Amino acid sequence: MKKTLILIAVLLSSAVHAAKEGEVLPQCPDAIYGNQDRLDFTAYSGKVVLVDFWATWCPPCKKSMPFLNSLRNELINQGFEIVAINVDENSEEAKHYLARNPVDYPIAFDPNGKCPGIFDVKAMPSSYLVDKSGKIRHVHLGFRDEDQSVLREQISALLAE
Amino acid sequence: MIRKNFFYNACLPALVGSTLLICQGCSSVSAWERGNLAKETMSINPTPNLNGFRDHIFSSKEASQGGHSGAGGGCGCN
Repeated sequence: MKKTLILIAVLLSSAVHAAKEGEVLPQCPDAIYGNQDRLDFTAYSGKVVLVDFWATWCPPCKKSMPFLNSLRNELINQGFEIVAINVDENSEEAKHYLARNPVDYPIAFDPNGKCPGIFDVKAMPSSYLVDKSGKIRHVHLGFRDEDQSVLREQISALLAE
Repeated sequence: MIRKNFFYNACLPALVGSTLLICQGCSSVSAWERGNLAKETMSINPTPNLNGFRDHIFSSKEASQGGHSGAGGGCGCN
């Protein structure tokens, strides 16, 4: 009986903790920027942040990037920022893509997939909208044209808080 | 008692072994790990036009259809 309880405890402790709406944004020290700095979300505290997971093999991810970039540049003065995390196994592919299709927001690279594992990302792309206090308020799975207006409204509402 | 021993000594290891053997092919792929699966070469039919053309020629040369979705008959020269 004791062994069974220990086994259950071990199994439960190894379960992945997903990032959900209402929870505090988890840290992802394994994601690294192009300049080798580690991703640290505390650098964006007090801002409304959209954490976006993307990859070059994901067409909707690439489709969302021009919209996200224009939205970010439009709202950056109001305290909005996008932090994109690339999950390509070969980060060089992402860097080549970004050289041809540059964006202005910061991009971290996590080729080992530890950060999406912490978030328990369910789809590609996945974006987590975080309020000024660092709590996840909305989770978006995938990207469709109609998501643009929804994202814009949600971001505006969080900026107004 | 003999039946119980037979179960523990023979049936149970065989059952566990065969289950493990089957489970080797079962693995969940997370959403962010699908880069290789998303490659064009991993699709069931990566070259649909070429395959359709080949099927057409094959059906014509063999003078038969079936077994695949080959289109039309004839000489295969079109």
